[in-house]
Amino acid sequence: MSSIQAAVRQAPVWVPPLVVLVVMLVVIESLRPGSLAMSRLAIEASEAMTLILIATGQTIVVLRGGIDLSLGGTLSLATAIAATRADVSFGELLPWLFVIIALGALIGALNGALVSALQLQPFVVTLATWSIVSGFALIILPINKASVPAAWFEAGNAKVLGFLPVPILLLFLLLLWWAWFRRTRLAYRIRAAGSDERGAFLNRVSLTRTNVVSYGLAGCLAAGGGFFFSTQTGSGSPVVGSQFILPSIAAVVIGGTNLAGGRGGVTGTVIGALILNLIGDLIFLIGLSSYWQQVASGIILIGVVLLAPLLRMASEPSGGDG
Amino acid sequence: MIRPLRARRRTPGATLLSYIGLIALFALISVFSPGFADPNHITTLLIVAAFTGIAAIGQTWVIIGGGIDLSVPWTLNCAAVMLTALARGQDGMLVWIIPLILLGGVLVGVVNGVGIAILRVSPIVMTLSTNIVLQGLLFIATKGFPPPPTPRAVVWLATGRMGPIPVILVLWALLAVTVVLIERRTSFGRYLYAVGTSPTVATFSGVPTARTTIATYAVSGAGAALAGILLDGYARQSYLGMGDPYLFTTIAAVAIGGASILGGSGSYLGTIAGALILTELTGLLPILKLESGYLSVIYGVVILLTVALAAPTTQRLIARLLARPDAASAIVSD
Repeated sequence: MSSIQAAVRQAPVWVPPLVVLVVMLVVIESLRPGSLAMSRLAIEASEAMTLILIATGQTIVVLRGGIDLSLGGTLSLATAIAATRADVSFGELLPWLFVIIALGALIGALNGALVSALQLQPFVVTLATWSIVSGFALIILPINKASVPAAWFEAGNAKVLGFLPVPILLLFLLLLWWAWFRRTRLAYRIRAAGSDERGAFLNRVSLTRTNVVSYGLAGCLAAGGGFFFSTQTGSGSPVVGSQFILPSIAAVVIGGTNLAGGRGGVTGTVIGALILNLIGDLIFLIGLSSYWQQVASGIILIGVVLLAPLLRMASEPSGGDG
Repeated sequence: MIRPLRARRRTPGATLLSYIGLIALFALISVFSPGFADPNHITTLLIVAAFTGIAAIGQTWVIIGGGIDLSVPWTLNCAAVMLTALARGQDGMLVWIIPLILLGGVLVGVVNGVGIAILRVSPIVMTLSTNIVLQGLLFIATKGFPPPPTPRAVVWLATGRMGPIPVILVLWALLAVTVVLIERRTSFGRYLYAVGTSPTVATFSGVPTARTTIATYAVSGAGAALAGILLDGYARQSYLGMGDPYLFTTIAAVAIGGASILGGSGSYLGTIAGALILTELTGLLPILKLESGYLSVIYGVVILLTVALAAPTTQRLIARLLARPDAASAIVSD
């Protein structure tokens, strides 16, 4: 008995959501046979990728003990920039991707610096920068526009080496990056500062540096998410990002990351984002309006936030992160 | 962090400062744009400010109480769409439709408040969730069909006049007086500042903390619903997305009004100045020939600047700057 209990306690936080994900995949496979084929999974991953990227960014900020509402604005800004670069050729694609991601990093770093310098609650600072950044998105691109260069659209939907779809490759690279990053000194410092600022500070962890780095990384990932969104849909929108703010937090929470900071990780968040996307599929398969997905994401977020402390209590003192 | 209960109950300094800012900004814009100070234009500005002002009643109390309400946009939008959908352009049923919709707003607020005060969900997560749930439900309910036009009685509420005075300004003034009186003269007002200053101390002092918090969110829901109804009358129709600007404007109005985002200080009197300043800034755009995106940037900068002024770091800096001459004079007198 104790060994089972010990195993449950040692299990990473992403195991319960993974079980949910598998069950959902089985249910969907039974409702719509062929859902587990590689091509179908690639579509699934591609649909979820924008959310996965922005939610990964949110995870890092949450691990640092913060929350970033401006990520939606950064995402919008990235799509706006992409959609106004219609004349850019395939060769100039990479420099533009670099510019967009660097801009995201800059916005994020500013967020982190402001949170540290002013000693304000992260949500107020990022609420203000959300308004500012989405304003710039509107100035660059006043209306929704479907004019992303064809080359970008093709790049987002291409297959690497003829069989590996880009979204699956991206997903793989993201998880690989996290497997490396979570063991770095920096990641430990971010976690330490997130779970106990005072203790971390006394152990000579720079609170400002961890803030700047975690918000900066989040900005990068949100901008990358926006870039991916525009390559997938072939369009840009100055307001689309707002639709991703709540789901980004929901994916983090479903993935087992503690909103209070310090505990959790990207693996769980990726699973959480996939679960949210599959809920959309299920709603479609049942024949309900797609807007039920929004309703569901809100209710699930509250439900998981309420249930998480109970689950944590059941498996305390808990073990691994991931 | 336990602060004494009676500290900074009201901040006349901050409120005064926001009114000085209001007048200074008005004078500045009037110099560059002569038509700005025209009485008719001032009336228009006041009417536009009334929507933000009424939507921000609850936001003021929620922020004084140490929370934040991000569900204002779609609570407002739901109320607006429900009104036109239920009334079908007729005045007859409004007697029970308007109270019903206000009650709906209260209900949304109570759900928020119970989640935050009793189930201990963070205000951001709770109200962001309510907002997205309401948005989804509204899209499902309307199925994209445009609702019927606004009933004439509601149009009168928003655009009509009693003699020379617009009805909506009378309504706003009555609400403002009531709200300020409740803040200053009732036990609820005292509870509100106590909860915002320190929930722990408030609880031990016998303040009904949970009930007070729930009440602030309920007022926020009702205020957003009322603003939605009035906005229907102003626009003569309801549409999806009409509440979107009110997320930032309500919070910005409260922040400009001198309330601390950490809770415990501020007043609706300040928020009124905040709503008027925001409306002045909106009036600035056509003069400077700027697009609406700049408005969003301005709101963000204004929120950032006002909260930065009240931030612990800035306060310490100001305190040090103020302390220096004292120290110098102390040395001289010695």
